[in-house]
Amino acid sequence: MIIENTLPVLLSRLDFAFITSMHILWTPVTIGMSWLLFFLEAAWLKTGNEHWYRLQRFFEKLFIVNFGAGVATGVTMEMAFGILYGPFSQAVGPFFGNILGFETITAFMYEAGFIGLMIFGWGKIGKGMHAFATFNVALSSSLSAMWILVANGWMQSPTGVVLKNGLFQVTNWWTAIFNPNFNIGFPHMWIATVELALFFFAAVSAWFILKNRHADLFTKLLKPTLLALIIVTPLQIFIGDELGREVAQDQPTSLAAMEGHFHTYLPDGKPNTAWNLIAIPDVAAGKNLFSIQIPHVLSLLETHTWDGVVTGMDHFAPNDRPNVWVPFYAFRLMVSIGFFLFLMALWGNWLRLRGQMTAEKLRKNPLFLRLLVFSGFLPYLAVWTGWWTREIGRQPWVVYNLMRTWQGVSHMGVTAESVWLIGYIIFELMVWGGAWYFFTRVIKKGPDMDSPVIGTPGSDAHQAGGGFAKPTFAKPTMHKNL
Amino acid sequence: MNEIFRIHSALGSFWWILLGVFFVIYIILDGADLGAGVFSLLLNNENDRAAIMSAMAGTWDANETWLVVAGGVIFGAFPLVYGATFNYLMIPLMFALWGIISRAVAFEFHVHAKSSRKFWGFMFGFGSLIAALFAGIALGATLLGFPMSTGNAQGIQVANDPFVNTVPHFSGTALSFLSPFSIWTGIGALIAGGLAGTLYICARFEQNDPIYKKAHQSATLFSYLALAAVVITLVWSYAIMPDAARWTGNGWFGWLILLVAILISAYKMMSNHAANRDFAALLWCGAIVVFMWGGMWATNFPYIIPQTWTISAGANPANDLAILTLFMTGFVPVMIMYNAYQIWVFRKRITHLAGYESH
Repeated sequence: MIIENTLPVLLSRLDFAFITSMHILWTPVTIGMSWLLFFLEAAWLKTGNEHWYRLQRFFEKLFIVNFGAGVATGVTMEMAFGILYGPFSQAVGPFFGNILGFETITAFMYEAGFIGLMIFGWGKIGKGMHAFATFNVALSSSLSAMWILVANGWMQSPTGVVLKNGLFQVTNWWTAIFNPNFNIGFPHMWIATVELALFFFAAVSAWFILKNRHADLFTKLLKPTLLALIIVTPLQIFIGDELGREVAQDQPTSLAAMEGHFHTYLPDGKPNTAWNLIAIPDVAAGKNLFSIQIPHVLSLLETHTWDGVVTGMDHFAPNDRPNVWVPFYAFRLMVSIGFFLFLMALWGNWLRLRGQMTAEKLRKNPLFLRLLVFSGFLPYLAVWTGWWTREIGRQPWVVYNLMRTWQGVSHMGVTAESVWLIGYIIFELMVWGGAWYFFTRVIKKGPDMDSPVIGTPGSDAHQAGGGFAKPTFAKPTMHKNL
Repeated sequence: MNEIFRIHSALGSFWWILLGVFFVIYIILDGADLGAGVFSLLLNNENDRAAIMSAMAGTWDANETWLVVAGGVIFGAFPLVYGATFNYLMIPLMFALWGIISRAVAFEFHVHAKSSRKFWGFMFGFGSLIAALFAGIALGATLLGFPMSTGNAQGIQVANDPFVNTVPHFSGTALSFLSPFSIWTGIGALIAGGLAGTLYICARFEQNDPIYKKAHQSATLFSYLALAAVVITLVWSYAIMPDAARWTGNGWFGWLILLVAILISAYKMMSNHAANRDFAALLWCGAIVVFMWGGMWATNFPYIIPQTWTISAGANPANDLAILTLFMTGFVPVMIMYNAYQIWVFRKRITHLAGYESH
C-alpha cells in the first residue's frame, strides 16, 4: 500500500524511534544498577566493611545522574503514545492502556516514592530502612520493565484479544499478559540490564585500576563483578537464542529480516537451511545480491534440527515485508557484542584463577583493563541494536498481523512532526551530553574516602526529619572571614 | 445488557473521580515545585537557586510522578480520550515536556557543573516556567473541546478498514489549541504556580532566612494576582462555556456554597500567611485547588472533555475497566502513603546555605 511509506508516516516512526532510543540509554542502567547498589549496601551492613559503603555511595552518585535523565526522557514516552499514535492508543487502549496504567500505579510511583529516600535519606532514616528503600527501588524498577515488556511483547505477539468496534478487547487477560514474546523477551531485556550495569561497574573499576587510583578498592569490586558476569553473559546468549526461536515461530517476517532469509526452499525443492554471515539484501527483488552462507546453521539455530524448514520472506506478500538492512546488521552487531562480552568475562575469571587478580598484576596487563573499559560502552550498543531489530522487524505492523503502523499514526502534519523531531534532538542530545559529561566528572573525582561513614560518631546522622547538617556552600562564607 | 451498561457507567465515573483526585494531588505538589522554580528566577545567585533545589530534593520526583500516574490512568481507563486529546494537545504538551526535561536534569547537572552552573540554574527556573505555562495552556485548550471525525487519522479512506468509522479521532490542526482563553489559562497557571511555589518556599525555609523573606513578600503579591485571576477565569468561563450555565441554574445554591468555600479558603490562606503560619497557609492554598478542581470536574459532568468526550463514551469496555478497578484501586492509598512518608522525612526547614548535594 502506498500510504505505508508516505512522509508523515515515516516521520512519525522516526519521531517515536528517536525518543525511545534516547530513553533506553538510561533505564537499563537504573534497573540493573539498583540491584547492584542494594547488594553493595547489604554487603556493608552484613560485614561492616567500610569499602562496600564507599563504593555504594560513589556509584549512587552516578546512579542519580542517570536516574534524573531517565525520568526526564521517560515522562515524554508515556505521553508520546497519545500524541504521535492517537488512533493506535485508542484501538489498543483496553489492553495496552491498562498495562501502562498498571505500570504507573504499581511501579512508577512505587519507585519514585523510594528513590528520594534512597538518595537523600542517608542519616535521616535508619540504616535498615535505607537498605529497604534501596531494595524497593530495585524491585520497582524491575517491575516497571516487566510491564513495559508485557506491552511491547504483546505488540509482537498479540494474544488474548479480539477486535470489536475498532478496539482490541481483551478476551483472556492471562494469555494477553503472558504473551509468547513477553515470556522470553522480558528475561532477555532484564538480563540485559544486569549485564549492562555489571559492565558499567567493571569498566569504571578497570579505569581506576589503570590510573592507579583506589586500585585495591576497585579490584575488590572487580572480582565479584566478573564472577557474576561469567554466569550472566552465557545465560544472556542462551536466552537470546530462545527468543530467536520464539520470533521464528510467531513473527516469521521479523526473523526472515533478521537473517536475510528470502527463500524458504532452494530451487531444487529442499529447505533452505543456510545462515547468512553477511549479505547485501535487496528487498525489492526479494533476494540477497551477495552473501556468505553457512549451510544448516539457520535450521540448527531456529528449529534445533539439521534440515528444519525456516519460513523465508518469499512466503509473504511484498507489502507485508519489513526492511532487511537494519534488522540484519543490527542483529549481527548485538550478537557479536554478546559473544565478545562473554569472552571478556572468561578472560577475567581465567586471570583470577591464575592469581592475577590483584591491582599490581592487573596493571601489568593494560590491554585487559583497556578492553574492559571499552566493554562498558558495548552493552549500550547491544541494547540499542536489539531494540531496533525488534521494532523494525515488526514493521509494517504496529500490532503484529492486526494493525498496520500507518493506521495508528496521529493526525499530524509534516511541519509539526519535524518540529517535534528537531526539538527532541536538541533536548535529548543535551541530556545525553550533559549526563555523560557529568559521569566523567564524578568518576574523575573518585569515591569520597574521607567523610565519616553514616551512623558513626561525627557523621551527619540525625533523627528523622533532621535538616542538612553539612551545607555544600558553607565554605565560601567561611573564606570571607579569613 | 442494561446491567452491564450500569456497571460500565459506575466504573467509568469511579475512575473519573480518581483521575480528578490524581490531578489535584499533582497540582498541589508539583505546582508548588514548579512555582518554586519560577520564583528561583527572581533570585540573583546560583547558591540561592541551589538552596531552592535542595528544598525539594527528596520529593520533586515523586511529586512529578503524579502527572505520570494521571496520564497512565487516562490511558488505562479512558484510552479513547487519551488518544484523541493528546493528539490535539501535541504542541503545548511538547513544550511542557521540554520544560520538564530541562528542569529534571538541571537538578543533578547544577550540582556537578562548574562553568555551566549559571546555565543549568537558568534551565531549572526557565524549564519550570515553560512547564507551568504550557500545562495551563493545555488545560484551557482541553476545556474548550476539539473537533473530531471518524475515518483514518491521515485523512485517507480505505475500504474495509476495521479501525475507521467506529472510533472518532482528533481532526483539527496542530494549532487548534491556540485561543485567547487557552493563553489566559496559561498565564493563570503561572500565577497560581507562583503563589503555591512561594508559599511552599516559605514553609521550607527558616523564617529568618533571606530567601524566606523574599518569598514571603512575593507570596503576598501573588495571592492578590491569583485572586484576580480566579475572578477573571470564572467570568470568562461562564461567558463561553455551555456547561457553566448550570452555575446559575436550579442548583445555584450548591455552586454558591462552593464559591463561598473558595473565598473563605483564600481569606484563611492570606491571613495565615500574614501571620507567618506557613504550613497552614500552604494547606489552605491546597484547599482552594481542591474546591476549584472539584468545581470544574462537576461543571463538566457527564463530559470528561467538555462537549467532546463523555465519561462513558471515552472509557474502556466494562470488562477492562473492571480489571483496572480490581487490581489497581488497592494501590492508591499505598501510593499516597509512601509519598506522604517521604514528605514527612524531608519536613525540616532549611536555610539558603543548603546545597542540593547534601546526599
